[in-house]
Amino acid sequence: GLFLQARDALENGEVPVGCLLVYKNEIVGKGRNEVNETKNATRHAEMVSLDQLLDWCRRGDLDVRSVCERTVLYVTVEPCIMCAAALRLLNIPLVVYGCRNERFGGCGSVLDVSSADLPRTGTAFKCVPGHRAEEAVEMLKTFYKQENPNAPKPKTRKD
Amino acid sequence: MSKEDTMEPQMKRWKGSACHAHSWVAYPVLSDEQSQDVELVEAFAVPIVDKKVTSRLVRELNSLYPLDGLQHIKRVRARKDRDSPHPLEVLVCLASEAPEVKEVTINSLLPPEAVGREGLGEPFTVKVPARPPLTRPQFELASRHWPTSFHEDKQVTVALRGELFSPLQKAAMHTYMMSAVTAARAGRESGMEAVGAVMVDPVTDRIVAVGHDCRGDHPLHHAVMVCIDLVARSQGGGCYSFDGYTACRFTSPEWNTADSEESSQPYICTGYDLYVTREPCVMCAMALVHSRIGRVFYGTASADGALGTRLKIHTQRDLNHRFEVYRGVSRTECEELYSSDTEKDHF
Ligand SMILES: [Zn+2]
Ligand SMILES: [Zn+2]
Repeated sequence: GLFLQARDALENGEVPVGCLLVYKNEIVGKGRNEVNETKNATRHAEMVSLDQLLDWCRRGDLDVRSVCERTVLYVTVEPCIMCAAALRLLNIPLVVYGCRNERFGGCGSVLDVSSADLPRTGTAFKCVPGHRAEEAVEMLKTFYKQENPNAPKPKTRKD
Repeated sequence: MSKEDTMEPQMKRWKGSACHAHSWVAYPVLSDEQSQDVELVEAFAVPIVDKKVTSRLVRELNSLYPLDGLQHIKRVRARKDRDSPHPLEVLVCLASEAPEVKEVTINSLLPPEAVGREGLGEPFTVKVPARPPLTRPQFELASRHWPTSFHEDKQVTVALRGELFSPLQKAAMHTYMMSAVTAARAGRESGMEAVGAVMVDPVTDRIVAVGHDCRGDHPLHHAVMVCIDLVARSQGGGCYSFDGYTACRFTSPEWNTADSEESSQPYICTGYDLYVTREPCVMCAMALVHSRIGRVFYGTASADGALGTRLKIHTQRDLNHRFEVYRGVSRTECEELYSSDTEKDHF
C-alpha cells in the first residue's frame, strides 16, 4: 500500500512519497503528497494521512491521543522538519521510513526534530530507517528525471 | 473617546499620526553566527621599533606564517597611544602555529634565515578575533582586540539599531498586526488559543488571508497552518473549510488577466509577508519554508519557538529557502494576548 501511494503521487506529478498509519493492525490513514493539486505546500503524505486518522477517530468517537500513542507511521522518505514536528504534536511514537531526505529531513538529515528537547512540542519519537530504501530512492529519481529531463542534477522541490 | 483625547486635543495633533504611539521596535532575528560573541584566539605579536622595516617584514612573515583562514586580520596595527615606545605592532603567528615555542622570544619565533630581526622589539601574546565579523557590533568588539576588516551589510546594521522601518512603514505594520490580534481574540472566543496570523502581499499592500488558531477542531490547525491553507484557497486550491469562523478569511489576489503570464500569478506564499502574534513552532516555521514566505513579523516569543527562541529555521543551513524574521512588532498588544490573566498556559 505504501508504495502504491507513492506511485500514485508520481503518476499525478507530485513528489512520490507515500504514507500509511497503522493502529492495531488496521490502516487508519494513508496518503501521498498533494502539494500541487491543493496549492498548499504543506500537503505532504504524512499530513494527508494524519487528517485521515483524525477523521477515523471522529467517526469511531475515539480519543485522538490514545489512538495516536499506539499508531505506527510508515513513509517512503524520512519525514521533513514540518512533518516530524507534526508527528510530535500528535504523539506518534514510532516512524518507519525508507530513504533519507537530504533537503528537508527532520529525523536527523537536516535537523533532528524527532528526538530534540522541545518540551512544548509534543513527544519525541523513535525512527527506524531503511525500509525498502532503494525503491524509495528509485521513485524519487524517476520523478526528477521526468520533471526536468535536461538537467542532470535537478533543483526542484522535494518532500 | 477617552478622557485624554478630550483634554489634550492639541497635544495629540502636535504629535502627529506617524510618530504617535509606536513605541515598539522591530528587531531582526539573525543567525547564530551573526549574533554570537566574538571568539578570540591567542597569537604572538612583535613591536616594530623602526618603521622602515615594516614592508620587508610583512613580506617575510607572509611567507613564513601565511595566517590561513585569518584573512580578516590586519597584519600590522598602529599604536594609538602617544607615549608608546614603538609606533607599530605586527602579528607574527597564532599560538597554535608555534606549539614548540616554550618561551616567547624573538629567537624562537623568527628564524634568522627567514626573517630579519633588526628594528623589532620583544614578542608578546595577544588575542585576535578567530572569525570575520558579520555585524557592526561584532566588528566593534573584534576591533578592540586587533584591527579587523569588515564587509558591512548596511541593512543589517540599520536593522540592529531598530531603524530599518520608517514611522510610516511601522504604522502599516501595526495595522496588519492588529488584524492578527483581532483574529486571535476571535479565535479565543471560539475556544481556541489566542493566536492570529495575517498574510500580506507587500507588492500590492493587500491582505491576502487572515486566520486564527483552530486546534480545538484539529490539533495541527495552528494559526499559521490555517493562514497557509487560506492563501491556497485564494489561489483556487486549499483543502479545509474555515467557513464557520468569520475571522478566518481570504481575498483572491488580483493579477492582470490581460497579460496573465505565469510569472505574475501568485504561487503559494512566495514573497508574501506574514504577521503572526506569537513566534511560530517548528511545524509552522517549516511550513513557511515550504511555502516560500518572504518575511515573517511576530509580536512575542514562544517557549519552543522556531524563529529565534529554540531554533532559527529561517537561517538554517542546508535548507533551500531562507527569509528575514523580525520580532517585537506591536509587542504590547501581542503580549497582552498571552498575559496570565487572559490565558494561563499558552501552549
Ligand atoms: Zn513533510
Ligand atoms: Zn505551530
